[in-house]
Amino acid sequence: MKNGWRHLVVVGLVAAGGLVVFFPFFWMAVTSLKTVPEIQRIPLRVAPDRWTNFDNYREVFQRQPFGRFMLNSALVASVSAVSSLLVSSLAGYGFAKFRFPGRDILFFGIIGILMVPFQSVVVPLYLWVNRLGLLDTYAGILAPDLVSVFGVFLMRQAIEMVPTDYIEAARIDGGSEFGIFWRVVLPSVAPAMATLVIIKFMWTWNELFWPLVVINSPEMKVVTLGLVSFTNMYFIEYNLVTAAAVVSILPVLAIFLLCQRWVVRAVVMSGLKG
Amino acid sequence: MDRQRRAGLFFVLPAVAYFTCVFLIPLAESLLGSFYRTQPGGASQFVGSRLYVKVLTDPTFWQTVRNTVTLLFMSVPLTAVLALAVALGLHRLVSLRWRSVWTATYFLPFSVSLVAAALVWQWIYDPVYGVLNHLLGHLGLPPLKWLQSLDLVLPSLALINVWARLGFDTLIFLAALQAIPGEYYEAASIDGAGRWQMFGRVTLPLLNPQIVMVAILEIIFNFKVFDTVYATTQGGPASASQTVIMLLYDTAFKFFRLGDASVIAVFVFVSLLLLTLVQWRLFRRQVEY
Repeated sequence: MKNGWRHLVVVGLVAAGGLVVFFPFFWMAVTSLKTVPEIQRIPLRVAPDRWTNFDNYREVFQRQPFGRFMLNSALVASVSAVSSLLVSSLAGYGFAKFRFPGRDILFFGIIGILMVPFQSVVVPLYLWVNRLGLLDTYAGILAPDLVSVFGVFLMRQAIEMVPTDYIEAARIDGGSEFGIFWRVVLPSVAPAMATLVIIKFMWTWNELFWPLVVINSPEMKVVTLGLVSFTNMYFIEYNLVTAAAVVSILPVLAIFLLCQRWVVRAVVMSGLKG
Repeated sequence: MDRQRRAGLFFVLPAVAYFTCVFLIPLAESLLGSFYRTQPGGASQFVGSRLYVKVLTDPTFWQTVRNTVTLLFMSVPLTAVLALAVALGLHRLVSLRWRSVWTATYFLPFSVSLVAAALVWQWIYDPVYGVLNHLLGHLGLPPLKWLQSLDLVLPSLALINVWARLGFDTLIFLAALQAIPGEYYEAASIDGAGRWQMFGRVTLPLLNPQIVMVAILEIIFNFKVFDTVYATTQGGPASASQTVIMLLYDTAFKFFRLGDASVIAVFVFVSLLLLTLVQWRLFRRQVEY
C-alpha cells in the first residue's frame, strides 16, 4: 500500500501546482465581470456580484476599436502562417530530397539564424521598412514574419521521412518537379503542415515588439498593442484590462485547446532535436 | 541529374533569399551601423569605435546588463528545476486522461501572449487591491510593493517569466521521459538501485540533452524578454528593472540614437552567441561516457 500512498502525494502535488498555474486565468475572468467599486472592495470578494455583468466587454469595444485590432491580428497571423507554410515546405523539400552544391551550408546557415536575436536586426529592418514606405502597413508588420526558421527545420524533418521511392516513381511517370512536390510530397506531410500553421499563427498573434516599432495609427494596431493601450492611463482600470485580455487570448486559447496535439508536437520537435 | 540540381536550388531559393534580406543583411548593417553616428538630419559619419567606448563605459548600460543577468539567474534555474519536477510528476500519473488535462493546464500560459499574461500579473501584484497582498493579509503579513519596490521588482518579473515558460519546458522533459525504455529501470532495480539512485544514474543522464536544450532556450528567452517588462514596469522603478533589450528599444525608438542602439544590438548578439556556445561545449561533453 506504500506505493498507493506515494501516488496520491504525486497526484496532489501535480494538481496543486496546476491550480496555481491556472489561477491567473481564473482571476482574469472573474475580474472582467466586476465593476470598479467591486475590484476596489476591501475585504476582497472572489465572486463578482453579477456573473452576467458583461459591461466591461462592451466598454472595451466602445473605448477602442478593439474589433479592428482583432481583425488586424487575425489577418496578419493568417498571412504569416500561410506564407510560412508555403516557403518552408518548398525549402524543406529542397533540403531533404535534393543534392546540390552548397546545400548543407545553406541549411545550417538558416538554422544558425536561430542564434540571431530579432532585436539585433531590428534597427536596420526598421530603416528598410521606412525606406520602402511600409511603416504603419500590414506589409510592414508582416515583413519579418513571413517565414520562420523553425518552419524550415520542421518541414525538412517531416519530408525526410517521405519514402524517396514515391518521388522517384512520380518522376518516372513524368511529373514536373513542382507537380511532384504539390501532389506527392505535401499530402504525405499533412500533420507537420498543421503543426506549423497553428504554431506560427499563435506566435504572430502574440507578438508585441515588432508591431510596437512599425505601427503608429490606432486603426493599424494589432491586439497586443491594443491591450497595452488600456494601461496608458493614470489609474489602470483592471476590470477593463482583464476583459480586453480575455478577448485577446480567446482565439489562441480556442486554437490551443482544439489543436493541442499539434501544438505539443511542435514543442516536442523543437526540444527533442537539439 | 542536372534538372534535379536546379530544381533543388529552386525549391530552397525563396527561403534563402528571404532570410538573407531579413536577417543576414540587417545583421551586417547592425555591425556596420555601430561604427557610424547618424545625425538627426540623416547624414552619417564614420566614428570608428567611439560609440563602443561611449556605450560600454556608460554605467547605465552596465546597470541594465546587471539587471538582465539577475533576472536570468532568478528565472532560468527555477524554471528548469520546476519543469523537471512537474514532468516527473505528470509522468507518474496513472490516469492518461488526467495526465493530459494537467499537462494542458501547465502549458496554457505558454499559448497566450506575454502582454496579456504580464497585465494580469500586474493586477495580481497590485499593491493595494491585488489578490496577492490580500493573501498576505490573511496570513497576518504586511502588504508588499511587488512591482514598485527596488528589491522586489526583478523577482516579481522573474516569476511571471517562470509562469509563462514552465509548461513549454515541462513538455520537452515529459516527452523525453516517455522515450526512456522501461527496461533501463528494471535493469537498475535488479542491480539493487533505489529510487534516488535510479533518478541520478538513469533518468538525469538520459535527460541531459533536454536539460542543455532547456537551459539554452531559457537563457535566450530571458535575455531577450521585452513584453513582460514593457507592459508592466517599463524599466522602473528608477531603472531597477531596465533590461538590455528595453534599453535597446528606448535608445533606438524613443531617443533615435541608432548608432548607440546598434552597439547594444551587437552586444546582445555576441553575448548570446557566446553563452550558447559555452553552454553547449560544457554540457555536451558530459553526455559522452
